Amino acid sequence: MRTGRLIGQAVLAVAGFVAVFPLLWTALNSLKNNVDIITRVPRVVFTPTLANISYILGRDSVLTGLYNSVVACGCAVLIGVVLGLPAAYAVARYPNRWAGDIQFFVLSLRFLPPVAVAIPLMVIWLQIGLYDTLPALIVTYSLLTISVIMWLAIPAFQAVPKEIEEAAFVDGYGAYSVFWRIALPVAARSLAGAVAFSFVLVWNEFLIALMLSSSNAKTLPIVASELSQQGMNVPWGILNASVVLLSLPPLLFLGVLSGFLNSVFRQKKT
Amino acid sequence: MRRRSSLPVTFVVPTLAILLVLSMVPTLYAIVIALQNRELSSAGYSWVWFANFVDLFLDRRFLNAVWVSVKWEIVTVVATMVVAIGLGVLMFEVASPRLRNLYCLLFIIPVLLPRVSAAFVWKFAYHPLYGIATYPYRLLTGGLIFDPLSKPGSALFAVASVDVWQWGLFFAVIVLKLLETLPPQPIEAARLDHARRWQIHAYVTLPMLKAPLISLMFVKMIESLRSFDLIYVMTRGGPGVATETLDMYAFSQGFIESGKVSYASAMAVLMMIATVITFTMLWKRVQA
Repeated sequence: MRTGRLIGQAVLAVAGFVAVFPLLWTALNSLKNNVDIITRVPRVVFTPTLANISYILGRDSVLTGLYNSVVACGCAVLIGVVLGLPAAYAVARYPNRWAGDIQFFVLSLRFLPPVAVAIPLMVIWLQIGLYDTLPALIVTYSLLTISVIMWLAIPAFQAVPKEIEEAAFVDGYGAYSVFWRIALPVAARSLAGAVAFSFVLVWNEFLIALMLSSSNAKTLPIVASELSQQGMNVPWGILNASVVLLSLPPLLFLGVLSGFLNSVFRQKKT
Repeated sequence: MRRRSSLPVTFVVPTLAILLVLSMVPTLYAIVIALQNRELSSAGYSWVWFANFVDLFLDRRFLNAVWVSVKWEIVTVVATMVVAIGLGVLMFEVASPRLRNLYCLLFIIPVLLPRVSAAFVWKFAYHPLYGIATYPYRLLTGGLIFDPLSKPGSALFAVASVDVWQWGLFFAVIVLKLLETLPPQPIEAARLDHARRWQIHAYVTLPMLKAPLISLMFVKMIESLRSFDLIYVMTRGGPGVATETLDMYAFSQGFIESGKVSYASAMAVLMMIATVITFTMLWKRVQA
């Protein structure tokens, strides 16, 4: 029995190592000179350099990509919050015979293959003259953020104890102020998780951004993927540094999202 | 208790209207384009009705892409579930609460990464000469070259391993949380009956979790459809067409090779019909 436990512990330790080591190694490589990367035996001891990182942060294309990503994702998430949260609340608290269909419709948007959305949209934006602009990207991403936020926020609102809301009604609050002053603050933690999740989703989005931009509206994932297309002659350190830059924003939400997971499953228990 | 209010209408109708417009316009337009013969290079077009679809079924590269997509779907979904259940049960059995929290945090990291990042991280790692993941092989064989991404037989599995790295570890956390929500009595009872640990899970806990596990698999099936980023960065569908999935082929037909937007759109429409029908049926069964 004890050896079984030990083997189990070892397997878990290996899995934990595999989970983070490749990323750590990439971060380490971003601090290396090219000579220290292109070695047959991986080098752990080396003289660190900030050249790769400063090169990345000094490139116009990277800065534009960063700006585009922040604006496109920020606006799309904002639209998702403004339109998605109230709708989710209404579905959760005023169930009618369509509630199930609405939930299924919102989920089914996720079945649509991204190519099937991106190709026609590209033709449409080209015709309107908005191709390769941020507004086009924001509108397209809103479809993603609204549906995801709605999908995750419905159970979050359902988890708010009904009694609190009923008490507020008795105290003379109207339907809107109950939503605004009671339901939103009480569910805030779960809702923050839902919003963070939608941000990570659009920040990581690649195919739609690739098809809807050609030069001006490129987001950071596109810029990063283009760096590599110049072949392997590009110093690897620079590529590694761009991967690190691209990966940092989603990782900032690690705490919020793991808290969100915990709260989702704690509700199920009760 | 709740009095009549205008809230449901004002909150739901505008959002649903916007969602409907944003989703139906591209969907219907995709069908329209698929029935024409548009190309990126020229503005003119005419209606060709179902000619694109007929061409597709005679296109051997398209049939290959269908097969690759099906393989991708099966490999990633099965491997993800196996890894998730295996590690989830292991954490439940042998890890102390503090260790569990640590592993949960570590296992969520890969799925948060942009797929482009994950693809690059592993593309470097799989590099035959300098990669960190191929280093053990070089060390053991005295410098032989192992290049998983450029062999037709292994490329799909090498890319799939990145997908499982992201989703399998993440789902392990969810499986653990699901196990933690189970009541302890049935497990105790099985233990009193001298059931072995694996028997407890195979015959008691996992059957109790059947419904959420199936939902989890359903989510993974949907997410597996989004393989494009990984494949685009790691292999571009290569070597040859060994990892060319439907979205990769649609993209290269529409944008890289020939700019045949209508042909690509016909492919997208077929994908859309197949996924919507399959997942609607599955969803109804899961709910029932």
